[in-house]
Amino acid sequence: MNARTSSTALVVLAAAILGYAAYRPTSFAVTVVTWITVRSIVAASMRFVMLIGEINVASIGFVGMGAYASGLATASWHWPILAALLLGAVVAAASAAVFGFITLRTRGAYFLLVGFSFTEVMRLLYTQVEAIGGNDGIVGIFPPTWLDRWFPALLIGTGMTVLYVLYRIERSMLGKLFLAVRGNERIVEAAGISVLGVKTLCLVIASFMVGIAGGLHAHAANVISPGDFGFVVAAMVLAYVKIGGEGHILGAVIGATVLTIVEQYLRGFGALEHALFGAAIVAAMLFFAEGLWGLVHRILDHVAIPPAAARKPQ
Amino acid sequence: MALYAQLFLNTVQIGSVYMLFSLGLTIIFGVMRVVNFAHGELFAAAALLVAALVPAATAHLGVPIVISYALSIVAAMVAVSLLGAVLYQFGFRLYLRDMTGSFILSLGFLLLLQGVLVEIFTGVPRVVPPISEETMVFLGGRVTVQRLVTCAAALVLATSVIGLIKYTNLGMALRAVSEDYEAAMLQGIKYGRIAFVGFLVGVNLAAAAGCLIAPLFTVTPFMGADYLVRAFIIVIIGGLGSISGTVLASFVVALLDTLGGFYFDPTTTTIAMFALVMLLLVLRPQGLMGRSD
Repeated sequence: MNARTSSTALVVLAAAILGYAAYRPTSFAVTVVTWITVRSIVAASMRFVMLIGEINVASIGFVGMGAYASGLATASWHWPILAALLLGAVVAAASAAVFGFITLRTRGAYFLLVGFSFTEVMRLLYTQVEAIGGNDGIVGIFPPTWLDRWFPALLIGTGMTVLYVLYRIERSMLGKLFLAVRGNERIVEAAGISVLGVKTLCLVIASFMVGIAGGLHAHAANVISPGDFGFVVAAMVLAYVKIGGEGHILGAVIGATVLTIVEQYLRGFGALEHALFGAAIVAAMLFFAEGLWGLVHRILDHVAIPPAAARKPQ
Repeated sequence: MALYAQLFLNTVQIGSVYMLFSLGLTIIFGVMRVVNFAHGELFAAAALLVAALVPAATAHLGVPIVISYALSIVAAMVAVSLLGAVLYQFGFRLYLRDMTGSFILSLGFLLLLQGVLVEIFTGVPRVVPPISEETMVFLGGRVTVQRLVTCAAALVLATSVIGLIKYTNLGMALRAVSEDYEAAMLQGIKYGRIAFVGFLVGVNLAAAAGCLIAPLFTVTPFMGADYLVRAFIIVIIGGLGSISGTVLASFVVALLDTLGGFYFDPTTTTIAMFALVMLLLVLRPQGLMGRSD
């Protein structure tokens, strides 16, 4: 498959999914696709920050901010839905700007630990504030009635747009700059570019997207509570990225799709659901570290191109 | 005065458990460059084993509670060490010095172990029967003898681990490896072996903290997460990989915990502590005593 046929196939697939979501908005299949969409956005955004070489566990904290801000705008202030979604994204991005400016001075293990603490602290904070429902969270976050029928299609369409935008940024000069920071910060710094600025920008873009995802989640689920945004969610999202494959943005989508479907079959296992999920992550790390995307690629390479030509310098 | 003595004792007690827990985390990081998110589950596993074994041993063996407690601790330490060895051999060994890979791997272990612990021990909180109900006056404050003994045990244990790291050949090898593993290998230190030993030392510290905490608080399979968040704050403040930084930060965090818990509530304390960490990061990104690599 060359690039053109595969992107045509993708567009056809996306159009088919959208069409089906508009045609049968209440079917279970479409509901599962909306979950997959929200998770794909979050997974793709977490992968986006991996471009600068950091693991952004704080991302779930920003999903929570987006969900709470847009949920509050709809349920309490009766804003129009698009304004509410935009507010969620802006709140998440603005908080990420402050958070990133402070914490991106650290890197590697420290950044990861700070992000972890941030996510847990935000979750605790939600339980403490009565105005946003404390432990119970916010209920009654509904899309407007006229939109109800079209909401799943709107959600999925928005998700696809977000993924496309992230893909375009990754392929742009800015994306190259992110990779340069991961490769060698000092060279970027020597070229007169502020590394802290580039890193913060990357975090802000990713957080804007997860803010949208949070708002979409709030309006699709109608109810949010602090427990939806704990660090275990971050672990799950990281599993989507890792099992799907870090090499390409579609890896995140594949991971979210496969694991969400697997999850439907694991329901009813109770606590073992988490254990099996954990086992899946461990197995993926031990047996196919490049993820499903890498696996598919390896197979395709073997089938389509003679092995000698397939060896590209890495 | 009695109040301050109580608060002081509380600080020392929580601090010494934090210290054991976080020292384990920091040693593992130093030697392997791995942040072990499953650390809290190993800690919880030890506490749960003690909580389950003490009543069983008392009932079936008919021995006094002190003996059944001692036997349970030995059994829990051995079991958790074996578990640690399995995690290392079938997991971390392949991801030494790979922070992203080992992070995801350890998250997988976290979910897996937590699920298994809930499955075995159920989510119901357990209470270990107290060894003695006696209280005594110490520095003007009233404490149970049991608390004093666990506190002393934690301090002795932590001191001996620090002694081991400072004064023995093994400790020197551990330090050399965490400073510069390639140079250490050039000196003939077998990195893989030392990493394994360091990992087991860390795992045993978590298990020891679990055994010591079991008779003091209620024990659940979810307790690991609370301590993990605290331990992360401690290592960020103290500097990952720094022993003295971790010891200092453990007591600072324990003091904040005690004061915050007394004057406010634990949740507010955690939030405030995080705000402090952010402030510290602005001033000193590498932690109080950490290296900046």
